[in-house]
Amino acid sequence: MERKLKKYGLIFIAIAIILLALFMFYPVLYSFYLSLTSTKLGKTNFVWFANYKRILKDPLFWISLKNTFVILLIQVPIMLFLALILATILNDKSIKFRGFFRTALFLPAVTSLIAYTILFKMLFSYTGLLNTTLMRINLISQPIEWMSNPITAKAVLIIAMIWRWTGYNMVFYLSGMQNISEDIYEAASIDGASKIKSFFTITLPLLRPMILFTTIMSTIGTLQLFDEPMNLSQGGVTAATIGPANSLLTLSVYIYNLSFKYVPNFGYGATVAYVIVLLIGILTLVQFRVGATDDEKEARRLKKQEKLMNRRV
Amino acid sequence: MKRFLLFISVIALSIGLFAACAKSTPDTGSDTSGNQQKDSQDKSGSSDKQKITVWAWDPNFNIAIMNEAASIYKKTHDNVEFEIVEMAKADVEQKLHTTLASKMTEGLPDIVLIEDYNAQKYLQSYPGSFADLTDKLNYNDFAPYKVELMTVDSKVYGIPFDSGVTGFFYRSDILAEAGYNADDLNNITWDRLIEIGKDVKAKTGKAIVSFDKADGGLMRIMLNSSGLWYFDAEGNATISNNEALKEAMETYKKILDADIIIPTSGWNEWVGAFNNGDAASVISGCWITGSVKAATDQSGKWAAAPVPRLNYAESKNASNLGGSSWYILDAAQSKDAAIDFMNEVFGSNVDFYQTILTNNGAVASYLPAIKGSAYSAADEFFGGQAVFADMGKWMNEIPSINYGLYTYEADSAIMSNLEAYLSGSKTVEDALKDAEAQLESQIQ
Repeated sequence: MERKLKKYGLIFIAIAIILLALFMFYPVLYSFYLSLTSTKLGKTNFVWFANYKRILKDPLFWISLKNTFVILLIQVPIMLFLALILATILNDKSIKFRGFFRTALFLPAVTSLIAYTILFKMLFSYTGLLNTTLMRINLISQPIEWMSNPITAKAVLIIAMIWRWTGYNMVFYLSGMQNISEDIYEAASIDGASKIKSFFTITLPLLRPMILFTTIMSTIGTLQLFDEPMNLSQGGVTAATIGPANSLLTLSVYIYNLSFKYVPNFGYGATVAYVIVLLIGILTLVQFRVGATDDEKEARRLKKQEKLMNRRV
Repeated sequence: MKRFLLFISVIALSIGLFAACAKSTPDTGSDTSGNQQKDSQDKSGSSDKQKITVWAWDPNFNIAIMNEAASIYKKTHDNVEFEIVEMAKADVEQKLHTTLASKMTEGLPDIVLIEDYNAQKYLQSYPGSFADLTDKLNYNDFAPYKVELMTVDSKVYGIPFDSGVTGFFYRSDILAEAGYNADDLNNITWDRLIEIGKDVKAKTGKAIVSFDKADGGLMRIMLNSSGLWYFDAEGNATISNNEALKEAMETYKKILDADIIIPTSGWNEWVGAFNNGDAASVISGCWITGSVKAATDQSGKWAAAPVPRLNYAESKNASNLGGSSWYILDAAQSKDAAIDFMNEVFGSNVDFYQTILTNNGAVASYLPAIKGSAYSAADEFFGGQAVFADMGKWMNEIPSINYGLYTYEADSAIMSNLEAYLSGSKTVEDALKDAEAQLESQIQ
């Protein structure tokens, strides 16, 4: 009977493994092979690491890398900070209509990526709602060309992304906060800690795993950013540049262009994709190290020491 | 026993899933049209019943025109069926790229529409994939510049379709208010247009044109009118030493500095600006007339003149922007039927071209059609001017250019460096030099 069950177990696992191998491992390996090839005029050659060398001298790659990092370094901290503040406020039981505010703030996260991007594009257009309103209340005398200037175009993208994703991250923090026992806060307030003090000494440290999780997810999401810049840039796929002076060209959009818009070179596109993988790997590692608690750091240090000692022995 | 039944059903389910996956793998990314293509192969197996599959975009233009062509052909050939699949332009391009690159032939249509700027990219990237039509069609009947762009090694591969002949379409009422009549606007230079624009702005407060500075369209109009492109005939990049390109960039800056335009971003804003009367003209390909006419309240207030030219000596008052052509896949199931169909309708039916001009505003590159009745008809919207006959005349003047493979790469290189020149942080020479460096790294 037991052996029979074991066999069934293996069969059941096999289904998942085969599916995973077919649709996950095979594409991963094949795209790495692709990244070692280069296509020109219908002929695909195996070029070893020439693509990786080429990428270092590719101005468009550097522009897209720079854009992606500018968005990452500005958008993610602002968004997570806002989410944290909103979560703290909405976690306060004395606030009325908490459920309503929670839903309202989370709602942007269920809108389609394309729909909200187009909405923001309309809001910020030359004759859009924002310009018209600012003119009406006499804050500006001439409409601002939001989407024609590289800096403001990027700002619009960042504002749009903050609107879309803050509520989503807030929900993670809220659920994290609800797992923190009331008793701790009560004890702190008896000891005379202010609300702000207990936020920094109780909420933040206990939310650490959640903060780490949202940071990593947002980093990965931003490095793969595609829908928003593609739709925000005029004309999308037919546009000459992605945003004014390529200011919205992200790495993922660049991969799309290399594969489908320009003379197709799937090999070089795959190379850029692998660079993203590498970057995500490095950044996640860094975040794990930075986000580790003092105890974890201490444990790691001790382990290293032990290893060294063993080697000496 | 119960457990055993459950186990069996799970296995059966997963086998079904695998079978479905295996079936759909050759044609990844296609959903509804995948089934349609399968039908077409099943049926075309028998010789008496043929099915022609067509991929195109734009239901009001290409699709509608193809439907019209199909209904004409079906009247005399009742054994031919058509499957006209509508997709977004980007989807057509993406599907064509992935299917051709995977060297699969079964997912492909018989006839596909390709934008002219992209033609050489497909023809040269996938040699042998498209049917050589050199001896099948009489190419002397088509506008020479359209034939040139679909020629590789003196073999011609496509069926020229709509022309992108450009015009300077303007509001005759606004320009008359500023003191300009039709003769003042005929065959002018861009510099003269800027002067007129300043005058119009001062006298009427209207912008002369709606203008998207991130859009490379005007740049291509200016270049094409000079007979120069981003590349020379051998396909080498000619950016930093391209006089017409330099003047085009300088003209962009002059237009912006003169403060005579409405800045727009994207198609809808751009069209909106002349539809609601904020911009007094639009300079674009003839296909824009459909959008111009959408503002029915402006009927009779428009006129058309040849596109402005550059000061560059070779520059003419005629240019092209966009346009597309039909191509037949060499591995197509109904290849011969497709060739016969295209030849009979697009390659010889003058009446068909009159119908699609009237119904869809499609200006043909088939020259005998331009002598037809619909072309010489006066257009009330344009104040009784026979605009399409005029366009036919301009079309013959368009300098022939081999667009080469890398128009989009070049466009991107220019436009990403143009901003720095427009804002004054780069000189035009430096911007061109940087653009050339970027382009060269893209096309290696």
